[in-house]
This record gives sequence, structure tokens and C-alpha cells, in this order.
Amino acid sequence: MALIDLIKEETIKIPLVSNDKPEVLRELVQILVDAGEISDFDAVLKSVQEREDKQSTGLEEGVAIPHCKSDAVSTLKLAIGIAPQGIDFNSLDGKQSKLFFLMLASPKQAGPHVQALAEIAKLVRSKAFCNAVISAENAQQVVEIFRGD
Amino acid sequence: MANPIKKIMVYIDGTEQSVTAAQYAICLASFSGAELIAYYVINTRAMEDLLKARIFLQDEQIEYEHDMEADSERYLNYVHQLAAKKGVSIIKKQSRGSVHREIVKTVDEEEIDLLIVGELSRIRSRRDEFYDETEQAMRMVNCSVLIVKDEDKVWEMYESLG
Repeated sequence: MALIDLIKEETIKIPLVSNDKPEVLRELVQILVDAGEISDFDAVLKSVQEREDKQSTGLEEGVAIPHCKSDAVSTLKLAIGIAPQGIDFNSLDGKQSKLFFLMLASPKQAGPHVQALAEIAKLVRSKAFCNAVISAENAQQVVEIFRGD
Repeated sequence: MANPIKKIMVYIDGTEQSVTAAQYAICLASFSGAELIAYYVINTRAMEDLLKARIFLQDEQIEYEHDMEADSERYLNYVHQLAAKKGVSIIKKQSRGSVHREIVKTVDEEEIDLLIVGELSRIRSRRDEFYDETEQAMRMVNCSVLIVKDEDKVWEMYESLG
């Protein structure tokens, strides 16, 4: 499955309203619940938090990619959240995180999960791309940026 | 004229499309008498990239690599069973690294006449063209490539095989 197939307006939220890391993880999982993509909020949140407890997925330059395997999903799920104001996510460079990708996969989908994460990793290497996404005014614009329109 | 297709390789990546490609490859091998290889690549290149980007932890990388090895075994065994049911021999082959590079290398090493792949995702983004490993492999291999479409038709063809 191509990354673009996972990017849907319903699973993109602008702006995120959370103020800290625990809140933003809950808000990202809730995006997928609200979109009907997952049903077991607690199980997914627990898996995401367990991964974050090992080391923050807050990377550099305002990007965070929380991810985990979970039995609560059968196919790849992606939520995108944008917080132009920035949220403290214990990132590697100490900067506030603005662009969040929550990626969930079934434990039996290691290959597609790795591939999708690798595609996101390639995209966010571009500062211009990240800035364009963070500056998007709505979910439709985010989808258009990912399509390269 | 001698049969131009003596050795077929079908690329399996765990998607339904690649399983359909395997069914087609089994039929083609049965009709043509060609040797058939089912091939899976464990994408260690992507995992290394994720580790470098600090998206993966070292133990997470190891865990995912084990998961992918299990996926590879499962899918290759499944395709092997599909072939066995139809009395077709199939060689299971696995490697690790960058998917498209490994495919290209193996096509050369095994002197493959025809590479069979599953239907590709519809291009919905200009970026897909750069990131789709199967598409990159198709462009780079030194043999003919067959893209299998129409899952239902292929299933019927596979089922009707003696």
C-alpha cells in the first residue's frame, strides 16, 4: 500500500489543541477513533505510550513519528496532526514538535509498516516539505501537498 | 522455436496482489514447463534508514527484522503450498537489503527470463513513482516483466489448473 493511500482528510487534524505529550498522544489516537479507523482507544494508546516510554519519537526540526504495533488494528493506520504553536514532545533536539504522524500496524504487517515509516522518513528530510505541511490551513491542503499537486 | 521462458521469478511482498501474481506464475510455469522461483526481500535497507533517522531503536529494528523474517517464511511457504497443490515445483528464495536492488541482482544471478509482479498501486502521487520499490525494480531489471491484474480471473485460471 502506497503512503498516499493512508492519507485521508478525515484522519488529519489542524490544529491540535493539546498542550503536552500525554495529551497529544491521546488526541492523535482519538483522530483515528473519530474517523472510524479504530475502536479500541485504550489498547492503542497503551501500545503507543509503551513505545514512547522507551524513547521519544520526537525527532528533529519539529517532526514526531509516534508508532507501534497493535493487535487492535488489522491494517496500517495513519493519523496526521499539526500544531503550528508547537508542543513539547521530548524531541531529540529539544525543539517543540509541530508535525505529528501516528502510525499503527498489525504485528503481522512488519513489511508494509517499515515501508510506510521509511517513506515518511524520506519526506520529512525536506524542510520545505515540512514547512508546507505545517503551514497548511486545512486537511485538504495537506492531502494535496502529499500528492505533490 | 524453443520456449523463450525457461526461468520465471515471481516477487512476493506479502500483499494480496503478490499472491495473485504467484497464482499466475504457477499457471504459466505449468503451461510452459519453466522453472519457477518465488522471491521475497527483507527490506533491511529501510530499517537501517529508520534507525539512522532515530525513528527506530536498535532493539526495535531487531524485533521488526524478526517479524519480517517470519512474514517471509509465511508467505513463501504459502506460495509453495499453492504450487504443490497444482503439482508445480517452486524454489523459495529470500534475501535482505534494498528491495529493488536485490531484485535486479537476483534476476541477473539467476538468469531469469521473466519477472512476474503483482498489480501496482494506482499512481496517486508523483512521489509514488520514486518510492515504490517494485516499480523501481521493474524499470531496472534486465529481463521482461509481467504485471498481473484481475484477481478473479487469475483465481479462476489457477483453480482450473489440473
